[in-house]
Amino acid sequence: MSGFSVCWESVRFAYDGVEALRGISLDVPAGASLAILGPNGAGKTSLTRLLIGLLRPQAGRVRVGDWDVAGRRPDEMATRVGYVFQHADQQLFERTVRRDAAFGLRCLGRRADGVDGALEELGLLRVADKHPYDLPPPLRKLCALAGVLAMEPGVLVLDEPTAGLDRAGRDRVIAALRRRGAAGVTSVVVSHDVAFVAETAERVVVMREGAVVADAPARALLSDAAALAPLGLEPPPAAALGLALGLKGRPIRVEECAAALGGARWRGA
Amino acid sequence: MLHRAHPYTPLAVATGLLLLAFAFRSPGAVWAVVAVALLVAATSGVLGAVMRPAMLLALPTWALLTVLHGLLGGAPHVAVGPAVFSVAGAERALVLGGRLAAILLAFLTALATVSPARLVEAMTARGVSFGRVYLLVSTLTVVPRLRARVRQIVDAQQCRGLRIGGSPPARVRALGPLVVPLLLSALAEVDEQALALAVRGGGASGRRTALDPPADHLADRVVRWGVLALVVAAYAWKFAGASP
Amino acid sequence: MKPLVFLDGVAFSYPGAPEPALDGVSLTVEAGSVVGVSGPAGAGASTLLLVAGGFAPRLTGGTLTGKRVIATERVGIVFATPWTQLTGLASTVLGEVAFGPASLGRPREAVLGAARRAMRNLGVAHLSDRDPAALSGGELQRVVAAAVLAMEPELLVLDDPAAELDPAGADALYALLPEIAAGGAGVLVATPDSERLARVARWVVVLEGGRVAREGAPGAVLDDTDVARVARMTGCPAPLPLDVPAALARLAR
Repeated sequence: MSGFSVCWESVRFAYDGVEALRGISLDVPAGASLAILGPNGAGKTSLTRLLIGLLRPQAGRVRVGDWDVAGRRPDEMATRVGYVFQHADQQLFERTVRRDAAFGLRCLGRRADGVDGALEELGLLRVADKHPYDLPPPLRKLCALAGVLAMEPGVLVLDEPTAGLDRAGRDRVIAALRRRGAAGVTSVVVSHDVAFVAETAERVVVMREGAVVADAPARALLSDAAALAPLGLEPPPAAALGLALGLKGRPIRVEECAAALGGARWRGA
Repeated sequence: MLHRAHPYTPLAVATGLLLLAFAFRSPGAVWAVVAVALLVAATSGVLGAVMRPAMLLALPTWALLTVLHGLLGGAPHVAVGPAVFSVAGAERALVLGGRLAAILLAFLTALATVSPARLVEAMTARGVSFGRVYLLVSTLTVVPRLRARVRQIVDAQQCRGLRIGGSPPARVRALGPLVVPLLLSALAEVDEQALALAVRGGGASGRRTALDPPADHLADRVVRWGVLALVVAAYAWKFAGASP
Repeated sequence: MKPLVFLDGVAFSYPGAPEPALDGVSLTVEAGSVVGVSGPAGAGASTLLLVAGGFAPRLTGGTLTGKRVIATERVGIVFATPWTQLTGLASTVLGEVAFGPASLGRPREAVLGAARRAMRNLGVAHLSDRDPAALSGGELQRVVAAAVLAMEPELLVLDDPAAELDPAGADALYALLPEIAAGGAGVLVATPDSERLARVARWVVVLEGGRVAREGAPGAVLDDTDVARVARMTGCPAPLPLDVPAALARLAR
């Protein structure tokens, strides 16, 4: 699987008289991983919904690869864009986790082969024969993600993928995103979880009130406390530790920070 | 107009229209009631909002009534083009169809003009127990709530590749992935909602404090008593055997 | 301090479930304290909150064995999914928050006062006239928390109360918990957010498979924050530091 580029060109979007997006232009090359940060109401979710055609802009264009989203229905866009809603468990309906995760593949007329792989990646193989509603909410959320991963889209769009997840689930989502990124899949992730963004994104865009107020490589922005402060953000813990110790290379991920810390000596408690 | 009324008033008017529609037996009188219902909806500014759902619900039944009574009814008959209609049957269809229209218009108007929050406050101020308040109000609001949820589910399933629309067999196949999560999530949430309500004191036995009870103006009381008087008169007339 | 909740060897099974959701769990929550519950998804944290708050089996069905004493009826619980906690009966946020105190039949001014205080504490006073159905997830979560706090419960139970909030909102909400405890209430909170839990809880119970795997001070039993992982990966001996200041204090320079 390889990814598609994603592009918003001078996009304006308003609803109920509220201007949610004011002339946004963003270009994401194929295979890139972009994270979108910002407060509630900044327009982050509207921006992502434009990619799959759930919302239509009043002005501007949205492209996924060579497709103009304007001419496509959401179910057509689903062949290229895997969209996972923030509260995805409302879409679960099949008798078992496995059948529900295969639903997208069935809709696209493809074989349900890749489903167990996606379930295993997210730690759901052991509950694959259970009814989704018998699972606790964090696992239902992972079930929805598994269904999208199984469809092997060229672009992954995730809205708050770690909200409500436990630590193990979060780790699995990080691993799954990294694996897809390495395979060239484009990802666009909306998230409040700055540490998760550090672990998965190469580029960070910060939005406020319908406009982009920052657009920088993740490593540069997330290790810069002074740049983050006016945006209402703080460096993630691994980056903060690196900054406090003056570690080389401005680590922002846990593994990077541990590597840079190298032969540190710890005192007993 | 009805928006500012005390919440009991639109409900009383709707009930009154329903009872009046059943008090009369001739098509002319029944459809006069329908005209009054249309007038009430129009003066409350909700005619547009009410007509579409009313027509959607009424048209199939009207078609059925026309066939059942109009074509299959008894003598006398009259030929209209290629079809033969029963006059008595046609009258019956008009009466039943008119009653349906009156009920739909009356209650859709009431739903559109009564705000659930104001109804809760009105009932609380009158000392109605919370259990009954909740039952009535959640029944009245079930359609908009389900509609919002359907919208979310349609969006989500489309993003998984489900085609909405298309050929009739495709539409039928699409029903499962739309209806099942609607029911499942609604049922699952009923549990949580009941729990949350219980926590917030929904089951408390004492009397609730009304925070902002809607004012019950003289006009409201006049309208409600007027509706009652009209209904009583209409039924007295009916039982006297003289009503149209 | 008097215990508000005392569980001793409690086991609980949901109706029709083959295995118990909780087995042999003991827990004490005292007035004036914040107790945390941690553990992987499905370990029973949410169930423990329902049992400790007296909502299970009363409202959920199922069977409970073991000893349970809950010393108060004024229990408030905030669930992780805010949209199912709206009454749907209020047209404004103020009305929604005031719903709980109004149920207690207190006078109108007292009810509105309690509601406004709670809204101020949760930073949602500016949403007072908005329609609750039109709020974002984060705003909704804070409004629902305010609605429960407005009832001034003696025992406050919270299930992942900041799941929908941005970092600043989550910090503010967790910072509120010790304040509420200082006012005399007992607070029991379950969350996968170990970093914030460690800041506010005096005692943490870690569940695995429905049983208590370990319990103690946060620093002694939690080990899954990012800083703790860095520490473990570089050979730090237990107990692991959970945040940056603790790590700095433990590093020999």
